[in-house]
Amino acid sequence: MSISRFMHRRKKDQDLAEEIESHLAHEQDQNAARGLHPQEAHRQARLRFGNPRATRERVWRYRSFPMVEDGWRDLRFALRSLARTPGFTSIAILVIAVGIGVNTAVFSVVNAVLLKPLTYPDPQSLVQVVTTSDRGPLPLASIPEYNIFQQQSAVFQQVAAYDWGGAGVNLTGGDHPEQVLGMHVTSGYFPLFGAPVVAGRTFTAAEDSPNGGHVAVLSYGLWKRRFGGNGEIVGSTIQVDGQPWLVVGIIGRDFVTDTPADLWIPFQFDLTSREMVHNFNVAARLKPGITGAQANAQLALAADQFRRTHGNDALPPHGGFGAVSLQESLIGETRAPLMVLLGAVGFVLLIACANVANLLLARASVRKRELATRAALGAGRGQIIRQLLTESLALSFVGGLLGLAVGFGGVRLLLSVSPGDIPRIGENGSAVGLDYRVLLFTLGISLLTGVLFGLVPAISASRPDLTASLNENSSRSGMGLRHGKIRSLLVVSEIALALVLVTGAALLIRTFLKLEDVNPGFTTHNVLTASMSISGSRFQKTEPVAQLIRDGRERLVAVPGALDAAASDCLPLQGCFGMTFDVLGRPRGETPFTGMAGFFSVSWSYFSTFEIPLLRGRAFTEQDDSAAPGVVIINQAMARKYWSNGDPLMDRIQIGPGGGPAFSEGPRQIVGVVGDTRDAGVNRDPFPTMYIPIAQMLDAQTALNAKVAPLWWIVRSRVDPHPLRAGIEAALRDASGGMPVAHVRTMAEVEVRNTARQRFNMLLLSIFGAAGLLMAAIGVYGVMSYSVQQRTQELGVRLALGAQASNLRNMVIGQGMILAGAGVVLGIGGAFWLTRFLASFLFAVKAWDPVTFIVTPLLLNAVALLAVWIPAQRATRVDPMTALRLE
Amino acid sequence: MIPKKPPEAGEILQGTLDMLILRTLVMGPAHGHTIAQVIEHTSENALEVEQGSLYPALHRLEDRGLLSSEWGVSENNRRAKFYRLTAKGRKELSAAAGRWRRMTRAIGLILGDSIEPAGD
Repeated sequence: MSISRFMHRRKKDQDLAEEIESHLAHEQDQNAARGLHPQEAHRQARLRFGNPRATRERVWRYRSFPMVEDGWRDLRFALRSLARTPGFTSIAILVIAVGIGVNTAVFSVVNAVLLKPLTYPDPQSLVQVVTTSDRGPLPLASIPEYNIFQQQSAVFQQVAAYDWGGAGVNLTGGDHPEQVLGMHVTSGYFPLFGAPVVAGRTFTAAEDSPNGGHVAVLSYGLWKRRFGGNGEIVGSTIQVDGQPWLVVGIIGRDFVTDTPADLWIPFQFDLTSREMVHNFNVAARLKPGITGAQANAQLALAADQFRRTHGNDALPPHGGFGAVSLQESLIGETRAPLMVLLGAVGFVLLIACANVANLLLARASVRKRELATRAALGAGRGQIIRQLLTESLALSFVGGLLGLAVGFGGVRLLLSVSPGDIPRIGENGSAVGLDYRVLLFTLGISLLTGVLFGLVPAISASRPDLTASLNENSSRSGMGLRHGKIRSLLVVSEIALALVLVTGAALLIRTFLKLEDVNPGFTTHNVLTASMSISGSRFQKTEPVAQLIRDGRERLVAVPGALDAAASDCLPLQGCFGMTFDVLGRPRGETPFTGMAGFFSVSWSYFSTFEIPLLRGRAFTEQDDSAAPGVVIINQAMARKYWSNGDPLMDRIQIGPGGGPAFSEGPRQIVGVVGDTRDAGVNRDPFPTMYIPIAQMLDAQTALNAKVAPLWWIVRSRVDPHPLRAGIEAALRDASGGMPVAHVRTMAEVEVRNTARQRFNMLLLSIFGAAGLLMAAIGVYGVMSYSVQQRTQELGVRLALGAQASNLRNMVIGQGMILAGAGVVLGIGGAFWLTRFLASFLFAVKAWDPVTFIVTPLLLNAVALLAVWIPAQRATRVDPMTALRLE
Repeated sequence: MIPKKPPEAGEILQGTLDMLILRTLVMGPAHGHTIAQVIEHTSENALEVEQGSLYPALHRLEDRGLLSSEWGVSENNRRAKFYRLTAKGRKELSAAAGRWRRMTRAIGLILGDSIEPAGD
């Protein structure tokens, strides 16, 4: 109805015009009949009717959609007007696009990591079951704990355990044996996470019990890549470590796990086990209607029951069990850095807004006459504001569209330098992309920025002094007092915001430099490492592993260029296991054991290969094997902490009290003290650590280790080890009977990965700081050069009256630097308050680091000086005659 | 921008113009000028049709299908657009008239004796 009305309105309007003519003619006839003179009759008819055009407009409006129409007209006008000033328009759009682009980029990561729900069915009811202690919740559990968790059927609908496949699995058979990521899971894992089965089935409860046989479920990726997507594979066997494993099913492509698994293997837990080692995760689905608090209450009861069954020492003194949202648990500590980044890009956007607002104010003063003319022709104030806002919204939307492209490119760039350990972003950030949240966000901030930078200029421009503006000489119709004030205020806030950003960036740069300077405690130069999975049945006992290491080392040191070689269950910087210990003959006090320390099992040449200095006693030798008495080497941090006024070499320690059967070994004599290495990362202070010879491990311990960690090979060479890679791999294949290696990297590469997150934070904040600084500089430059342009006449008069050019220059510089100075002072205050949020990202640098707080303001002032220098120089080149003739 | 005029006697109440137009056309087709004349004369010049509102109202009614129109020749031998009541318009008129009578009665009841009866 209204559409057809809309479509025919032109014809109808013609009709109406004729109709009104006819009406007027009849009225005129009537008037004439009353005896009026024809001319008077005509006049009175018109008078009585009023303005025919107004009537037509009324009908026209009723036949149209006024909001849309007016908006469309305003938009066309805005686009025309923006197109007339391409310089201004392109700069404004560029600034907005950068501002919105960085926000879109960071938000799309925030969206993927923090906001998107987990891809599993009914993700709200999924929880991570954790063990708690004084040091907070840990998402890890042991078999007895898993056993008690799965009995909590009052609160949990389903419970499943899973690990991260760290030990690796060797796919043999065929010409290219390959180490892949085999994730251990309990049979409840697939139903819990709603994994789609594309062929076959998942594990049965029988297959997930001890002696359940060799079975595997393949991932879609591995099935396609290694088995050519052949459906016949289900129900047949594949070769794993030289033994046949039955493939029971294939999981669909859409199933996302945080560590991408190549295949799944059943844990086959012995639920009667008293193995207290925490080496897997447990997740559960809450029963419908059960809240997290109810689950936690039930788990507190379970913890009491656990202490009754396994002894009070089975849990740490104030420890217990708990349930946290699975999503929260996955996000972990990533939230804070992302929030800081989001805050930083918010600052960039604010600076961009201030900049564009400034440009608009300048533009509005140039257009004063145009606006005054429109007001004089009857445009209401609201209409002028609407028109100007339409212009700024047009700018912000075009900028936003461009920003979306910038953001999309930016996020790819961002992820290509990303630390790789951001949870939930998928492989190479594939989970980060455009979705409706990102689009809504970009649309929202486009709208917001359009209003933010458009409103003040629009309101101030809509209050023109008509007569003054229209009469004014156009070249002088300049910056009124109010405009000047607003613009100065904007510039001051731009500088303040930029200072905060640059301060943050400077703190992170200092942090990174400090990290580069840290001595990790071992040589990273010319050291190559590789992992070998020993999860196969061949290596369930210690002796074959010790033999493998002996054979391997012999062949590795024979590789031309190799200097030394060793093997271990962990690498420095990558984190390792922690284990309890008791010092024999020392009273325990409150705790069930003396302490907790890092725990490495290493081959005898580990310290010489990594060039870790021996401080006291002796290193391990080839003779420290299962036949010899048990020995242990500790690091300096452990010696300092536990033997502050004693001699560790006189003491014996018991490793793993309360750790279960795998640690039912005898005490070990401390034979040496070595230098500290940074095991948990460059930015973590070394903590107490103990090393034992791999050859002296109990068989049960070896079997346990093989399930969670691979064997790491370490080779130090005379030259860059990369060219040795083929020789090293061949030597290891030879020594192990054809076993593949993976994760072949130099320790220098491991170190780079280790500081990747700091580098990432530093890089991003530096980019944002530089962008903010550049925009602030443009802002200062813009205001000052505009002010010089407006004051050409005044400057001319001053020159004519004998002022020196240098006086004028200094005057302009002085005025510019007052603005800069005000911004810097404000910014220092803001930075002082805000950098506390960076405290957790800093290393060996205080949040109020004096160097940063002195250098950054100086830098800001220097940039500002540069930005005012050009307009100041221009001020000295004013020709008095030209300036005065302008009048 | 146009200042609002205070409501005066003689101005047609909002919404009633449509009803008056429909009522006028019961007598037969007429063009805009005649309609205005008839309303004013029949009300003994108590009501004044604002001519700027008349044509928008006519067009609105036609769009709603209450009127139909065709160009013809008027009594003055001039071209004029004649409006005719449709069946739908007739129905709408009786509904509107009913509403109006109920309304005036209700208002009359409330005003009651406190105000002198008008006209006498």
